[in-house]
Amino acid sequence: MDIGSLVGIFTTRFLGIFIEAISFLLLGTLISGLIEVFVSKDDVVRLMPKNPIAATVVGSTMGFLFPVCECGVVPVTRRLYQKGLPVSVGMTFLLAAPVMNPIVLASTYAAFGWGPVLIGRYVITWIMAMVIGLLFSLQRHPQRIVNPIALASFSGGSGMAPSVSAGRTPLLPGIKQALILAGEEFFEMGRYLIVGALLASLMQTFIAQETLKALATNPVNSVWVMAALAFILSVCSTVDAFLALSFARTFTVGSLLTFLTFGPMVDIKSTIMYLGVFKRRTVIYMIILPLLISVLIGIWLNLNVRF
Amino acid sequence: MIANTANIRKWLQALLLLGLGFYFLDNMLTGRVYFYINERFGWLSWLATVIFLVLGIINIYDLLRERRNAQIQIHDAHDHEAHDHHDHAHDHGHQHGLAPSWGILGLVALPLVLGLAIPAKPLGAAAIDSSGISTSFSAVQGSGSTTTQFALASTDRNVLDWVRAFNSTENLNEFNGQEADLVGFVYRDVRFKDPTQFMIARFTISCCVADASAIGVYAQYPDAAKLTQDGWVHIKGHFTIQQFEGQATPILVADLVEPTNQPQHPYLYP
Repeated sequence: MDIGSLVGIFTTRFLGIFIEAISFLLLGTLISGLIEVFVSKDDVVRLMPKNPIAATVVGSTMGFLFPVCECGVVPVTRRLYQKGLPVSVGMTFLLAAPVMNPIVLASTYAAFGWGPVLIGRYVITWIMAMVIGLLFSLQRHPQRIVNPIALASFSGGSGMAPSVSAGRTPLLPGIKQALILAGEEFFEMGRYLIVGALLASLMQTFIAQETLKALATNPVNSVWVMAALAFILSVCSTVDAFLALSFARTFTVGSLLTFLTFGPMVDIKSTIMYLGVFKRRTVIYMIILPLLISVLIGIWLNLNVRF
Repeated sequence: MIANTANIRKWLQALLLLGLGFYFLDNMLTGRVYFYINERFGWLSWLATVIFLVLGIINIYDLLRERRNAQIQIHDAHDHEAHDHHDHAHDHGHQHGLAPSWGILGLVALPLVLGLAIPAKPLGAAAIDSSGISTSFSAVQGSGSTTTQFALASTDRNVLDWVRAFNSTENLNEFNGQEADLVGFVYRDVRFKDPTQFMIARFTISCCVADASAIGVYAQYPDAAKLTQDGWVHIKGHFTIQQFEGQATPILVADLVEPTNQPQHPYLYP
């Protein structure tokens, strides 16, 4: 086939993923900007239950209140820690929120509809976040988990919500500030989406599907491949469902679920951000535990469940 | 005032947002957006259009105001009286983050550059080679009901309706003699030994072209050799059950095949 038509096909596929995904990314950055400006974190901490298990459950679903993707969740968690949120609850929130939020629910539904992928994504994510959060709640000394620098209160720098004593931000300037922040975050996050969309559409266009099939249909190897892809691509959780969709015709369902559950918790960019909040040893656990749980569930599903 | 590169990058950021807004607006108004996504997500792209335009305008407004404030400040520095103006310049609501790097700007510009430089074209026959074409139902399962195609008059069914109908029946002979009226693009591959035979093909997408899959109905026409691969045609005829590669297959025997324009919605939605 001539190179001209290949470039045309590649462009159509690339723009397809970009155009479909970008609305969700824009919505995510807008909401994140609004939270940054208008939500006072004190209110949330005051409502937190004292019982560790109940608090972990609340932490795992708090994303529906703070619809942030994996990029937005780290600064929000750090701020919640400064306001006294228990470390294990923050951990559960951090791991669950990138999936447990209305925007990701909408984009996953748009891509896969109501079915095993959507349900599996939510059930597995919830299990992973709860197990890991409860494990960390056994550690009684939070200073061994969290980087002390992250807990030191810092004065409101760029884009910080004003302290409570300063009162609420007035509506119109607040909205304008949220929009400016959203524009900045769009560039910060958009690059990961674009690199991910580039790679997915290059693979769809230039790699013969037969070559991929041997790897993609193997119940074990496919899961590891998708876990590695999720880590490398670092795509925002609000749009990763559309990338998974482009692999859905060749790859096993278990491997797609690993991509959709492990990816939002751990990838290159979130690892870098985690290092700013947690101790190095904690971060290693935060990579290995989700990886093992997610891969094991993915392989188990491939071997035992017919979709 | 000397423009440093951070300032240039901030301006490029604002112009890119505005540019993406106009690119989306153009896609929406021309309907080209449906070369990329399912019709039911059109409203989301309208939303993206509006957000891009608003972000672009706000950013440009902010940069202009910043420049004016900076000029006031320089002016004040010369004029040692108006101290209150200093307060005004500092009372700026927020501090900007860092301007995006050249690498980020280049990446975010890429969709815009590709969208403008490469002529927009929906997936066609050439895109089938890497992924294959399907005549089976499993590949076109979706949210649509499996019974709706039978509620349609036979000449109102599209390629997808027929493929579904063929795959949900026990007895293909019931289609013998049924009339059909279809629009699709011409597709042939190595399996087509008989020059009068070809396929009327369409792509189906449920979300966007990321999940596109090609489906088709076999057709037969004496002058088929003159039809160009990937050309859009309107075809009328009736089905007969024949052998194709050793399998009983409904083949649309055409009475009329005429070239037609690519439809406004080139994909079918399962």
